[in-house]
Amino acid sequence: MYKLRTAAPGVRVVSVETNEYKTNVIDVSMAVPLDENAAANTLLIRLMKRSSKQYADFTLLNRKLDELYGAYLGASVSKDGDAQILTLSICCLDDRFALDNESIAYSCAELLADLIFNPNETNGDFGEDKLNLEKRLLISEILEELDDKRSYALKQCTSYMCKDEPFGRSVRGTAEEVENVTMQDIYAAWKRILSTAVFQITVVSGNDVNKIVDLFAERFGRVKRQPRNISTLFIKECTEVRRYSELQPVNQGKLVIGYRAGTEYEDDNYYAIRVMTDIFGGGTYSKLFANVREKMSLAYYCSARFNNSKGVIMVQSGIDTDKEETVTAEIENQLNDVRNGNFDDEILESSKRSLVEALTFNSPNVISNWYSRQILSEKIVTPEDDKSGILAVTKEQVCEAARNVTKDTIFMLASDGTQEDENED
Amino acid sequence: MKIKEYKNELLGESVFCADHPSGLRILVMPKEGYDSAYALFAVKYGSIDTFIGNEDGTYTPIPEGTAHFLEHKLFESEELDAFELFARTGAYSNAYTSFEQTAYLFKGSTNIDKSLEYLLDFVQSPYFTAETVQKEQGIIGQEIRMYQDDPGWVVMLNLLKCLYEKNPVRVDIAGTQESISHIDDKLLYKLYDTYYNPSNMVLCITGKANPDEIFAQVEKSIKREKKNVPQRKFDPEVPEAYQKYIEKKLPVGKKQFYLGFKEYMTKPQLTLEEEIASEILSEVLMGKSGHFFKRLLDEGLIEMDFFGMPFNGFGFSSFIACGTSDNPERVAQLVKEEIARLKREGIPEVDIERARRKIYGRFIMDYNDIGSVSNCLMNMYFAGYEPFEELSAIRNVTKELVTQRLEKLTEEGSALSVVSPL
Repeated sequence: MYKLRTAAPGVRVVSVETNEYKTNVIDVSMAVPLDENAAANTLLIRLMKRSSKQYADFTLLNRKLDELYGAYLGASVSKDGDAQILTLSICCLDDRFALDNESIAYSCAELLADLIFNPNETNGDFGEDKLNLEKRLLISEILEELDDKRSYALKQCTSYMCKDEPFGRSVRGTAEEVENVTMQDIYAAWKRILSTAVFQITVVSGNDVNKIVDLFAERFGRVKRQPRNISTLFIKECTEVRRYSELQPVNQGKLVIGYRAGTEYEDDNYYAIRVMTDIFGGGTYSKLFANVREKMSLAYYCSARFNNSKGVIMVQSGIDTDKEETVTAEIENQLNDVRNGNFDDEILESSKRSLVEALTFNSPNVISNWYSRQILSEKIVTPEDDKSGILAVTKEQVCEAARNVTKDTIFMLASDGTQEDENED
Repeated sequence: MKIKEYKNELLGESVFCADHPSGLRILVMPKEGYDSAYALFAVKYGSIDTFIGNEDGTYTPIPEGTAHFLEHKLFESEELDAFELFARTGAYSNAYTSFEQTAYLFKGSTNIDKSLEYLLDFVQSPYFTAETVQKEQGIIGQEIRMYQDDPGWVVMLNLLKCLYEKNPVRVDIAGTQESISHIDDKLLYKLYDTYYNPSNMVLCITGKANPDEIFAQVEKSIKREKKNVPQRKFDPEVPEAYQKYIEKKLPVGKKQFYLGFKEYMTKPQLTLEEEIASEILSEVLMGKSGHFFKRLLDEGLIEMDFFGMPFNGFGFSSFIACGTSDNPERVAQLVKEEIARLKREGIPEVDIERARRKIYGRFIMDYNDIGSVSNCLMNMYFAGYEPFEELSAIRNVTKELVTQRLEKLTEEGSALSVVSPL
C-alpha cells in the first residue's frame, strides 16, 4: 500500500503511488517539542508559506500557484501529544491534465523545497515588514479563537486540564509570545528546525516519486542533521476533579469534560479505548447521542473524542446554561452504563462497522493525512491494520477500558443572560 | 428506463442518466478504483421556499424553517430510525438543508445496495406525530441558538437582510424559535406531499457503483407517482439595497464584515456562463494574486481570510466581499473605488486568463471527491444543466461577459454588514 524511503537522517518519505486520482499531494511535516518556541516556529512556517527567494512576495507566489492550475498551498500547525507539528503541503492537478507538457507535481515539489530551504531571507533577515505583517495576522487569528465558541471552550478545558504539561500550551503561542518574537528568534527557529526536527514527507501521486525523493535528499544533503526525539507526558489517572467556568453573552452554553484515558503511551490499549469512546459518544448509535440528544432533547450535539497521542478523552456539548447539572449527570450515567456493560451488542457492532467504514479512503488528501499524522510513530500503521485492530475488540475489553477512564476537568462556557432575543425578526 | 451516457474525454469519465416514470432523475458516475459510493437523494425544497404555489396561480405562505424541520423529522420512522438502519451497514449517513434544497446522503463501502434501499425507503416514508414534532423543537431550538453564537453566520445573514427586503434568502435556514413553534405534524405531511414528489427530486450516486444495477434497483423502489412540480415564486426586487448598513455586537475577537452588491434581476436565474464569469471576476478583483489584495494587506486593512465570491440562486444574485478588518468602512470604500477603476480602465486579458486557468484546475480537482461530484451533479440538475456543462462553459466565457458582470456591481445595490467586539 505504501512505500518507505529515507531522504536524510530523520527524514522519512512515505508514498502511496496510485493513478486513481486527479490530484497529487505532497506534505512536508516537521515535529518539534511544544515549548516556548511555539510562536517563533509558527511565524516561521507562515513566512515560508508567503514567499521565497524566487517568488519574493505574496502576489508573485500566488500567481505561480494559479499558473500551476490553482494548486492549493497550505501551512498548518497542530499538536501531536507534547509535540508541535508544522506542516507545509501542496495539492495539485495530476500531470495528465496539464495543457502543456510540464510536470505539475515536480514543479510543486520544487516549490515546496524552495519555500523550506530557500526562504525569502538574506543574512538572517526575513524582512522586518514581512515579519510584522505575519505578527499582525497571527495575533488577530489568536484573538479570533474567541469567535468559535465550541472550539474555544475545548481549548480552555484543555489548557486548564493540562496546565502543567506541554500539551496545555497554545499550539501557536499566545498573542504576547507572538508579539515578543524577534528576527533572531525566526532565524534560530529556521536553523533549529532544519537540523533537529523530525521530518516526514508524505506523497500521494501517480507520477515519479523517486525524482521527488532525490530532490529533497539533495536539499537535506546541505544540512547537518541531528534529529531530536520528542516524548509525551501521560497521566494515567486523575484523583481530583476540577471545575472552571467563564461567563459570556452567548445564547448557548458550551460544556466540556476532560477525562484521562488510563494510558501510559500512545498505543496503550488503543483499539479498546477507540471503540469504547465511539460507543460512549461517537456516531448516532452512541450513548450520548441517543440519550442526551434524542431521548432528552437537551442538545444538538453531545460527543466524545479520544486523543491517543495524549491519552485524553474530551466530551463536548452545546446546552442551555441552566442544564449543566442535568447534562453532566447524564453524561456520567452513560459512561457508567458503558463501564457496566449496559449497552446492546448491536451498538458494539454498529460502532465497529462505522469505525471500519471511516477507514475506507477515497481522496489523496485523506490518505496523505493518515500517513502524515504518524510522523512520530516508529511503525507505520495502514488503514487495514487499524480495521483488524478494531474488529478484534470484545465487549469485555470495552467495559474494562471505560473503567480505567477518570474524570479530570469540567469547563463550562456559561451564558451571562444578557444576550438579546433575536427571534422577533 | 432509457439510459443516456454523458462522456467527458478530458476527465475520461462518464455520467449515466435515466428518468424514472415517476419523474425522478437518476445520475450515476462510476469511478474505477474507488472503494466507496456516495449517494445523494435530494429534493428541490430549501429555506427560500416560504410560499406554496397553488393550482390557480396564487401562493400560500408557510412558516420559515419548514424544509429544515422536515429534514430532521424524516430520519424518524414508526419502526427503526434511519440512523439505526445505516448502523447495520456501517455507512455514514447525514442530511443537510440549504437555501434551495434538502439532501439526504450516505457514504459506504460494503452493502451499498442495502444502504441505497434504506436511503430510498426512509426519504419516502414520512412519519410525524405531535410528540415527535415537539421533541424536535427542542433539538432544533439548540441548533438555532448555536448559529446565533456563530459570528460568521450572523454577519452573512445580516448582509442578506440588508440587501433584500422580502426575498426569502434573508431568512435563517433553520427559521426562528418562534417560526418553528408554528410547525405541527399536519403541516409537515402537507409539505411533504407537495415537495417530496419524484419529479421534484434527483438521485446522484458516485464512486463504487454499477449503473445498470442501480437503475434496476431504483426502478422498483420508487413508490410515489408523477405529479406536477411545485413552482417557485419569482418576485424581483428593486435595484436598491433595502438597508445600507447593519452592525451587531458579539463576543468576538475582531471585527468581521460582509460587503454585498445586489444584482437587479430581470430573470430568475443567471446562466452558467454568467456564474463562471462572476467567479472569474471575483478572482480578478479580489484574488490573492491580484494587486488589490496586496494593497489592502499592506495597508493593514485586511487579513488572509479576505475574499470575494458570487452568491446566487433562484431569484437572487449578489456579489460578496468578506473578511476581518478593524476598518470595514474603509475596505468597502476601496472595493468600490477598485470596481470603478476596473469599469473605467477595463479588465486586463492576462488577469482573466490566469483566473480561468485556476478555476479550470479547481473544477477538475473537484471530480476527485465522490461527495463533491454527487453534490455537483445535484446542483447542476436542479439548475437545469447537463453533467460536465461547466467544463465547456468555462471556455466560452468572454472578456465581454466578465465586463458585463462587473457592470452589475452598483453603489445603490450595495450594503455592509459588520459584527464587532463588545
